[in-house]
Amino acid sequence: MASKPLYIVLCSGEHEKVQMAAMMASVGAVSERAVEVFVSMNAIFAFVRDATPDRRYRGGAFSQFMKEKHAPDALVLLRQGKEFGDLKIWACSMALDVAGLEMDHLVEELFDGPLGMTKFLSDAEAGQLVTL
Amino acid sequence: MSERQVIDARGAFCPGPLMELIAALRHSAIGDEVEVWSTDKGSAADIPAWIKKVHHELVSINEADGHWSIVIRKAK
Repeated sequence: MASKPLYIVLCSGEHEKVQMAAMMASVGAVSERAVEVFVSMNAIFAFVRDATPDRRYRGGAFSQFMKEKHAPDALVLLRQGKEFGDLKIWACSMALDVAGLEMDHLVEELFDGPLGMTKFLSDAEAGQLVTL
Repeated sequence: MSERQVIDARGAFCPGPLMELIAALRHSAIGDEVEVWSTDKGSAADIPAWIKKVHHELVSINEADGHWSIVIRKAK
């Protein structure tokens, strides 16, 4: 029996939550489970193009540990999830509008496009929804 | 004839060893084996669970010299 799709709403820009979203999304996708991630609110700033790792990943004590010990980079994990599995990543259209961002302000070859919350939630009725 | 490739993922944090295994399997033929070395404590449970989920074959799993050695045979 096929697994239920996993839907992740990532709205925190904290490094620890961005990392957990990337881990869940990538491992889910490579485990033959369809995964979709909806990036909104402060999380959108973690995906701005050409940001340095220190600017992209801001968090608490665990963030510092992850940087010092070279934990897998969240963007790399998400790209691996897309390459090895069925992972879609959407940029919240409201977050883009409010922040004054366009899709080409975000990291390349990661997002599948902008999307509204209504469509994402409608799709998520078929699966399991996690919010970070 | 089937081959065995060794992936040295010692020092990589979760889910790094799994991702390195998957990358290696993508370039392997059915029947080939991949041996992953990992110091990540979760790998001993995570990788066998992944193998079962996606229907590859677990050949062996051992802990020695401070790391896990997990051998997988590509089944599809």
